[in-house]
Amino acid sequence: MNRASMNWNATINGKERELEVEPSRRLLDVLRTDLELTGTKVSCEIGRCGACMVLIDGEPVNSCLTMAYQCQGKDITTIEGLHGDKPAELHPIQEAFLEEGGFQCGYCTPGMIISTKALLDRNEQPDEHTIKEALCGNLCRCTGYGGIMRAVESAAVKCKTRTEEPSVAE
Amino acid sequence: MLLNRENSGERWRKRRDGKEKVTGELRYLTDMTAEGMLYGRVLRSIHPHARIVSLDVSAAEAYPGVVAVITHLDVPGLNRFGIATPDQPALCEDRVRYIGDAIAAVAAHTPELAEYALSLIHVEYEVLETITDPLRALEEDAPQLHPEGNVLHRTSVKQGDANEAFAGCAHIVRETYRTPRQMHAYMETEGGLFVPESDGRLTVYAPTQHGYKDRMQIARILGWEEERIRVVSSPIGGSFGGKDELNVQPYGSLLALKTGLPVKLHNSRKESVRAGLKRHPMRIEMETGIDLHGRLLAHRVRIVADTGAYATLGAPVLNFATEHAMGPYRIPHVDVEGISVFTNNGVSGEFRGFGGNQAIFAMEGQMDRLAEKLGMDPWEFRMLNRRQPHDPGPLQQEIWRTNGLYQVMEALEHSTIWQRRQARLDAGIEPGSFVAEMSSDKDRSIKSQPPWIKRGIGAALAMHGAGLGYGIEDPAGGRLSLNAAGQIEVAFSYEEFGQGLIATMEIMLIDLFHCDPSDISIIIGDTDRVPHSGSSTASRSTTMAWMALQRLKVPFLEAILQQAERLSGIPAQELTTGIGGIRRKPGMKDIMQPESASNLQQQGQVAESSSNPSHVPDHQIRVYHESLSIHGHQASASNAGQGSEQITSSSDATGELVISYQQLVAQSALDELIFDTHFQYPTTPDEVMGGHFLYTYAAVAAEVEVNTLTGNVRLLDTYHTVAAGPVINPMGFIGQIEGGSVMALGFTLTEDSVMDDGHYMTKNMDTYIIPTIQDMHSSLEVEAIEDLPENDPFGPRGIGEIGSVALAPAITAAIRQAAGVWVTHLPVPRERLIQPLGVGQQEGVSPR
Ligand code: FES
Ligand code: FES
Repeated sequence: MNRASMNWNATINGKERELEVEPSRRLLDVLRTDLELTGTKVSCEIGRCGACMVLIDGEPVNSCLTMAYQCQGKDITTIEGLHGDKPAELHPIQEAFLEEGGFQCGYCTPGMIISTKALLDRNEQPDEHTIKEALCGNLCRCTGYGGIMRAVESAAVKCKTRTEEPSVAE
Repeated sequence: MLLNRENSGERWRKRRDGKEKVTGELRYLTDMTAEGMLYGRVLRSIHPHARIVSLDVSAAEAYPGVVAVITHLDVPGLNRFGIATPDQPALCEDRVRYIGDAIAAVAAHTPELAEYALSLIHVEYEVLETITDPLRALEEDAPQLHPEGNVLHRTSVKQGDANEAFAGCAHIVRETYRTPRQMHAYMETEGGLFVPESDGRLTVYAPTQHGYKDRMQIARILGWEEERIRVVSSPIGGSFGGKDELNVQPYGSLLALKTGLPVKLHNSRKESVRAGLKRHPMRIEMETGIDLHGRLLAHRVRIVADTGAYATLGAPVLNFATEHAMGPYRIPHVDVEGISVFTNNGVSGEFRGFGGNQAIFAMEGQMDRLAEKLGMDPWEFRMLNRRQPHDPGPLQQEIWRTNGLYQVMEALEHSTIWQRRQARLDAGIEPGSFVAEMSSDKDRSIKSQPPWIKRGIGAALAMHGAGLGYGIEDPAGGRLSLNAAGQIEVAFSYEEFGQGLIATMEIMLIDLFHCDPSDISIIIGDTDRVPHSGSSTASRSTTMAWMALQRLKVPFLEAILQQAERLSGIPAQELTTGIGGIRRKPGMKDIMQPESASNLQQQGQVAESSSNPSHVPDHQIRVYHESLSIHGHQASASNAGQGSEQITSSSDATGELVISYQQLVAQSALDELIFDTHFQYPTTPDEVMGGHFLYTYAAVAAEVEVNTLTGNVRLLDTYHTVAAGPVINPMGFIGQIEGGSVMALGFTLTEDSVMDDGHYMTKNMDTYIIPTIQDMHSSLEVEAIEDLPENDPFGPRGIGEIGSVALAPAITAAIRQAAGVWVTHLPVPRERLIQPLGVGQQEGVSPR
């Protein structure tokens, strides 16, 4: 049980974090257990469901498949970091999920929202096909995806408005 | 009304519990931790059927970092659980009956240590014959899995003389249908935190669909008084029936008590698959005959359900399947027998639809086959044979009459999807072939489709019972109060597993009291804080919450308005509840309300009214009027109607503020502002085991595309129409139907927990395939039929299950139309749909 630890650091939700962890410790456990960031969920642990999705340097990654050493020094965003400096204010994607009913039990929701963020950062106006491709690694058992689809479409509009008129939301 | 955001107006509300879900702030019970907590792990059998010859935990106990190991010797109370029949060992003594059976459990300082400790436990097994086939279990020389043998339950429904009637049938269809071992696949696996409290109590934070039932079961295992246990059971990351039964609770509780420390358990997905419930695989033989004109004459059904190793709710599931095996049709001669059989295949239990899904798939399949034999339109054939409004229920029991069946049938007939089917047929276009008319249709250009792509449209019907049925204790109730913080507080023992119960309650309260969401407090899922109001199962909570509030609102309003009168000097008749507090009623102005809200109030008045509307049989009134018990004030069913006109209009919300709720409560005795009600879910007065009283109706149409090269089936369009009374929460309603529908899509096309010799072959989400967003199409329509007969006292019906029960037969009918193949097994075997590419049989063959 005494495997060598490493001095691990990363930027998590804009904050520098440093921890002693085993290099092979899963990012999922670092987040959920060591840092108590339980917004990132655990469900299949084999990279199939997307409940554990986080952004590493802006790319969506299943944290259950990522070991600590692989994200050493990286910039990691979890669901808790999405609303930026103003915790009271929701990110437009979160707002859209809330308005459209893009969740029920909510367990897939953080991962779903993170994947949506990655998508909309790349593509401001994704079509249906692109949305489906971007989210097909996120399983949801409750909604049947109808509300999620509507939420992502509405989020795209919201995000675009926000970038066009930064004064509105910032 | 076609349900969507645009059509919903103000009822489309952001969910009260939504913000913390979209921000990740919500702590699910499996996210919880406690100072100094230990991690629990469970040792499960490696054989599906074996005798335990010896068990040695000493090495695990001695391992540093391991705090406790428990076996059956550590169970102080009843070492069994099971909602209906406690026959499943919490920790097995001398025998294991499935691959999820628990033998020991460990608590250690880290999850890794706990996992490692399991490997130090030595179990010696003597392997026994594995029963994988229910038919084998029924053979005389089969090993007996339980003292009473291998049969959990039998059902039988006989009406008329089917044997004789078959002789007179013009057409008979015989078919055997099989359905899969579907997994609930909730995203949050089972788990929780178990905390021994300093006052000697135990707090259990673990998801379940009925906190009080868990409390009873855990107390039974611990040999404790129930009151010593507090069960906190919401929020839940999905359940669908799967978390109704105990899962990790026995181990968490026993370990916490043995160690005196908080213990956390959270199943891995693999363990969830291995130990968790599944939907009953059923083999359903049906033989159905009609006369020359197409009228159903005789119907014979044999259901064999694989209930797995233990009972849980296997018997009620079979009752439900039996009741639903005759569909909403008039059949004079019926002979249905069901049997639920123990095997060594996992454990089958409660799952959304509760046996209805399997039976409806088979029955609707029969209807389509018969219509085809007769050369009749399948919908016309159903209309010819449907039950009449005054007919008794499927078990010949008295049921509550609505026009739901007729309404959904008519709605489906007029739906665009069904019209499209008709238009194609009218145009003489051969089913399965492609047609130019479709190029204009929702951008589905098919002109260039290759010949192996074929389309078809099918439909199916469901009449689905709600509530637990006759003969099962089905308590309901609730509490309404003005709490110390000056909020209107409701408390129910219902659970939030995502369905939107909290949102629905908020809307109900705003409807009743015109108050602001911030004036409301909703308490659920905590046995220390809520009254007994039964389970969140069987599509019952919405109806029960609504009925309870209808009962409670009158005495509650009377009490707080009288108190406001006392404090303000303004007569109570001039006062009403509104935003922030008690407000003065605006003069007798006209009443401008959303229609649905006034409907609700109207029904509310009727529910409380003591007069018997003439067309309602007396006993139907009785079932919902008994035992209104209200603390604090004398109130009874007979005076309950009087206060309802106090709720006049939504302008009440903003009349002049007389006294805030906070001021009011500060100057009142709290216990005078608390009201409880207890009653039973409405059941049929006839003594028919499991028979229902309230039914919900749905019709579903589906269009599919079959690729006969690959056997792939793609759903293109779905239409659901549901007659379930007024829609309180449209966002929740759509979500339930869409979610149920897509879950049924999985049941139909991809989902099966494959077992081989008692072992799961599909151990995780990589091989157990649930639909992804790729499988979803943009045109799922949900049409809600909201009207109920005048004076219907039961209000909105639950819709948690109805979206999932009738899609499968609609899809298989569509496949038949597209590819000419009748599918009898689910999930649809793709190989059955692969067809030669128009190549002649003789091609390539030449005489020597
Ligand atoms: S938990 Fe990481 S993908 Fe499922
Ligand atoms: S909302 Fe429950 S899994 Fe998606």
